[in-house]
Amino acid sequence: MNTTTRTCPELGAWRAWLDHEDHPSSMAEHLQACPGCQRLVADLRDDAASVGHTLSVLAPTRLPSPAEVAVARERLETGRRPAAAAQPPTRTLEPIPVSVARISTPWRIAASGLAAALVLSLIIAFTPEGGAAAASFLAQFRSQQVTAVEVTPQSQAEIYRTLNALGNLGTIKTPGSDGKEARPEAAARGAAEQARTVSLAEAGQEIGFSLKTPDPATLPAGFDATPRVRVMPAYQIRFTFDRNKARGYFQSTGHPEVSLPDKFDGATLVVSIPAAALLEYQNGSSKGALIVGQAGELVVDVEGGKVGLPEMRDFLLSMPGLPPLVVSQLKQIQNWNEVLPIPVPVDQVHWQSTTINGNQGLLLNDNSNVGSAAIWHAGGHLYGLAGSLKASDLKRVAETLR
Amino acid sequence: MNGNDAPEPGVLKLEEEVPEQRARAEERFDALFAQFYPEMFGLVYRVLGDRMETEDTLQEAFLKLSHDSALQSRPDGEVGAWLRRVGLNQAFNRLRSARRARARLERVGRLEGADLEPTDADLVSPSGVVIRLEEQAAIRQALVEVPERQRECLLLRHSGYSYAEIAATLGIAVGSVGVLLARAERAFRAQYRRQDEP
Repeated sequence: MNTTTRTCPELGAWRAWLDHEDHPSSMAEHLQACPGCQRLVADLRDDAASVGHTLSVLAPTRLPSPAEVAVARERLETGRRPAAAAQPPTRTLEPIPVSVARISTPWRIAASGLAAALVLSLIIAFTPEGGAAAASFLAQFRSQQVTAVEVTPQSQAEIYRTLNALGNLGTIKTPGSDGKEARPEAAARGAAEQARTVSLAEAGQEIGFSLKTPDPATLPAGFDATPRVRVMPAYQIRFTFDRNKARGYFQSTGHPEVSLPDKFDGATLVVSIPAAALLEYQNGSSKGALIVGQAGELVVDVEGGKVGLPEMRDFLLSMPGLPPLVVSQLKQIQNWNEVLPIPVPVDQVHWQSTTINGNQGLLLNDNSNVGSAAIWHAGGHLYGLAGSLKASDLKRVAETLR
Repeated sequence: MNGNDAPEPGVLKLEEEVPEQRARAEERFDALFAQFYPEMFGLVYRVLGDRMETEDTLQEAFLKLSHDSALQSRPDGEVGAWLRRVGLNQAFNRLRSARRARARLERVGRLEGADLEPTDADLVSPSGVVIRLEEQAAIRQALVEVPERQRECLLLRHSGYSYAEIAATLGIAVGSVGVLLARAERAFRAQYRRQDEP
């Protein structure tokens, strides 16, 4: 348009013109010549300024920092995992052996690490909900026992941040990462997605020892006596320290006082997560399930570098950002090279030490009594039970495993 | 290998692509999360005024997105519009919830729950916190009274979104944004004034 508009532009056009969204020169020319539009535009401008000023009060004082965004991303992953497990892609997976739909979200979070597979107590080491274990799993380790490490929502967030920073100290490689930077929790998820339904004997071959089953007579009424058996493959996560990368990271994050000693350079931590079997006993009427998980030992070795394992553990526990209370609990573990710390979100889950057939373990139940879980080590193998039943009933079933 | 083996590599190829596709999908989702989370926080926070509730709302919205691989493959602009639409809906649903509203009022009374991060002015005058919270509550109350489409338009525009982005979010023509915004500003201003009246 190159002539002055005779017809007055509409309200919306003027509002857009004020925001420079629609600004043909003809409108400015029209405005100069039209007292009615001048009054309208003055009112619109006044409204816009007033409302803009008023609404500015609602803006947050600050937007989330990159670290907070990373924490939110990890939190989402935590929420996605149980759901993904409950409804796996039909092309490659079969239904997950846990009826999570009836279980509260907090319990699902706990159960995903504790019950859905005790495998997952191993995976815990690298998953957000298992964040507390991460620091100590990065030390020479051959799991023989379990212990609880209490974590709060705040400390979980701090651990997420620290875990997210690990990739800045070197390179993480997982199955399928093909040399690209990997996310350990994605490896854990990938292993879960590769679960296959097999026979008991096949599962035993896969995990390297004969599976134990509970006495069917102890199963609560309504539970099917024949379990469905699934196995998840073993896999490795490799974390190689890079001195220069770590130095740059600590300096850029305002922690120049932290340095990665030269002898760490090139050292690779190899975390070998064993194959695991899950036995699922369905309750047809309640849609609940009892899960029995069994796996071998989680082993952490070091390749390359010149670093001693205790030093490596000390260094990792000194990383900026780890919650002091969690670090303190981890440091108090005397035989740290054989105790698998199980993070327990104390705002969601009660826990107590227990013995299962003479073996030390943990008994957990969520605060709403929706379900319970037990986890223990015996004969070099890791066992776990979880289901929608009372902790005392669950323990009774656990003690019949033969 | 001979010609009879031809189908075999095809099967293997399919199996090999699954992890790669999953990795690509994960990368795409990571990128979307990193791109949209902060700006969505700014938008949803304006409705809720509470960092934790904002985070919870965003978790719900991004969780929905994570389950919709088709949506994730759409251009960024479309994904952003969807996130804004879902985020605003969920935020206002939360605000409307009678129980939450009651709890929020109680918390405001205790000076808890709302964003109490001190501004420079608050540091000079702690009573400024009280005034700021009262003002925010009054503004949100006025917003709730404005017709849904108008208040969403207001929030989007005054959070810095362009007319094209607003149109995509609300599912209207770009040419309709101006009039909707003009009416929304007028309605909001009138409503906010009414609240000030004794």
